[in-house]
Amino acid sequence: MSFATDSPSPLHSSSSDDFATFLDTALDSNSPSHQDEIQNQDDDDDDDDNAQSVRIKRHKVESIEETEASTSEGTVKQNLVVAEESVEVDVCSHPGSFGNMCIRCGQKLDGESGVTLSYIHKDLRLHDQEISRLRSTDMKDLLRHKKLNLVLDLDHTLLNSTMLMDLNSEEGHLTTETDSLEDVSKGSLFKLHHIHMMTKLRPFVRTFLKEASKMFEMYIYTMGDRPYALEMAKLLDPGGEYFNSKVISRDDGTQKHQKGLDVLLGQESAVLILDDTENAWMKHKDNLILMERYNFFASSCRQFGFNCKSLAELKSDESEPDGALAKILEVLKQVHSRFFDELQEDLAGRDVRQVLKTVRSEVLSGCVLVFSRIVHSALPSLRKMSQQMGAICLTELDPSVTHVVATDVGTEKSRWAVKEGKFLVHPRWIEATNYFWEKQPEENFIVKKKE
Amino acid sequence: MFFHIVLERNMQLHPRYFGRNLRDNLVSKLMKDVEGTCSGRHGFVVAVTGIENIGKGLIRDGTGFVTFPVKYQCVVFRPFKGEILEAVVTMVNKMGFFAEAGPVQIFVSNHLIPDDMEFQSGDIPNYTTSDGSVKIQKDSEVRLKIIGTRVDATEIFCIGTIKDDFLGVINDPTTV
Repeated sequence: MSFATDSPSPLHSSSSDDFATFLDTALDSNSPSHQDEIQNQDDDDDDDDNAQSVRIKRHKVESIEETEASTSEGTVKQNLVVAEESVEVDVCSHPGSFGNMCIRCGQKLDGESGVTLSYIHKDLRLHDQEISRLRSTDMKDLLRHKKLNLVLDLDHTLLNSTMLMDLNSEEGHLTTETDSLEDVSKGSLFKLHHIHMMTKLRPFVRTFLKEASKMFEMYIYTMGDRPYALEMAKLLDPGGEYFNSKVISRDDGTQKHQKGLDVLLGQESAVLILDDTENAWMKHKDNLILMERYNFFASSCRQFGFNCKSLAELKSDESEPDGALAKILEVLKQVHSRFFDELQEDLAGRDVRQVLKTVRSEVLSGCVLVFSRIVHSALPSLRKMSQQMGAICLTELDPSVTHVVATDVGTEKSRWAVKEGKFLVHPRWIEATNYFWEKQPEENFIVKKKE
Repeated sequence: MFFHIVLERNMQLHPRYFGRNLRDNLVSKLMKDVEGTCSGRHGFVVAVTGIENIGKGLIRDGTGFVTFPVKYQCVVFRPFKGEILEAVVTMVNKMGFFAEAGPVQIFVSNHLIPDDMEFQSGDIPNYTTSDGSVKIQKDSEVRLKIIGTRVDATEIFCIGTIKDDFLGVINDPTTV
């Protein structure tokens, strides 16, 4: 590939020869900058005295191009153009779309694919690859700031809401006790006329969010609809510090009646979930910290089949320093400090689910349980719960047994426990321990004699 | 880009507006109806600047409403591919940022933000250069290039880029 025949001697330095040499070098290096030089040379030549001969020469060159179409300025240019085009086409994998346009190249895309992130913008969709890319960059960012992700449920976890019309006569006193909506950061009971609801924030929630925000990137994920979720986020976070565009509602999920971490831009190994409904998180039970339900209003007590008086009816509330949120905050702190300070592995390899499991398995470690006359349907879940907390469950009595779990003092095992001075506790002891991540004082869960 | 064009619209007017001020009523109704709306073809109607011609009214049977064909001049705004726009940032997140130029919503993904700008989470999420000299956050003003547009019946979406010479932050709210 050379025009040596056209330019017989390199010493012969007419402009036409220059041109040919330029072509040669350009073709050899195949670089676009040389192309420009050729172009410039062309322009200069046109003004030259030898313009005529150059034109002839160029004509020759062009004819070679046309016939052979192998190595010529034009083909190189063509190649380059083709290359550029193919680069553009190949490089853009259309990582996602905004209003059916690729977010990277602006090209119109047909069909709807990928995960819709409607909680960020209703027309934003991202592909799985892009999401995993974002997750891994997010992970690095989080770890650098010593943070993890925390997904918070709203209803019965951080607050309790009721429709205004569902308030009963005993709760009527609440309507006069609501706090002003002008400065929501101070109050905890709000009447939201425009959505016909009354909302009570769980005691301790403000301290909880403030403390948790130092350790976690927080998301709200609720089964409520979007307007409700945003309204609640406004109450919890009036300054917009915690949940900035991270409020996920029922409308944004990918599956009905299920909550999933697929819309979350965080690595699953770095996500903790606080929720009162285990069944909503079928796929992510290992990330879940189950919360004790906060039922302030009678309507929500009824919803879950409790026949007791609601907190509102009793004019009482959960304790602020000893309530569920305060306890869970301790657990979160523990998990967080273990994840960052105690694990030996490489940061990226750490998994918060493992840490959670370990912390949980220490709650009842050293306890040996025997169940006595527990309803069959309840037994497997109680057994599983206690085992997850590190207790050993036996079926038969044994000197190593520390606790007998029963609902009745009359059974043989119960009587044995009393005689041997072992703890005889109600199954609620296990449930309470499970909620508070701390062995509960056994004397609060004594099995009462049946009358 | 802004255009000054003539558009036509059939205006339906309730009989109670008939009378001396018929023309004024018609014009004010026209302004109320079209300003701020969007058409796929012309973009957003920013303002009605004048009336070219009002045709003969046609009385509708049964209702008494009258339809006037109105030709009017107006200023429209329509973004084009390759156009440079100035926009205000409305939301910043891991994926990039959203900005608005009047009624147009523009998304700039993090692929199209210069590589030396990194996302910083926190109370005010932002993209910052490694030396901290340039920061994009909510309410920043940016100059961007449109690389894709989609004009709907009621909305216009754009994809923008700031990964090019002379694009990026032009006014930072924190330094004002």
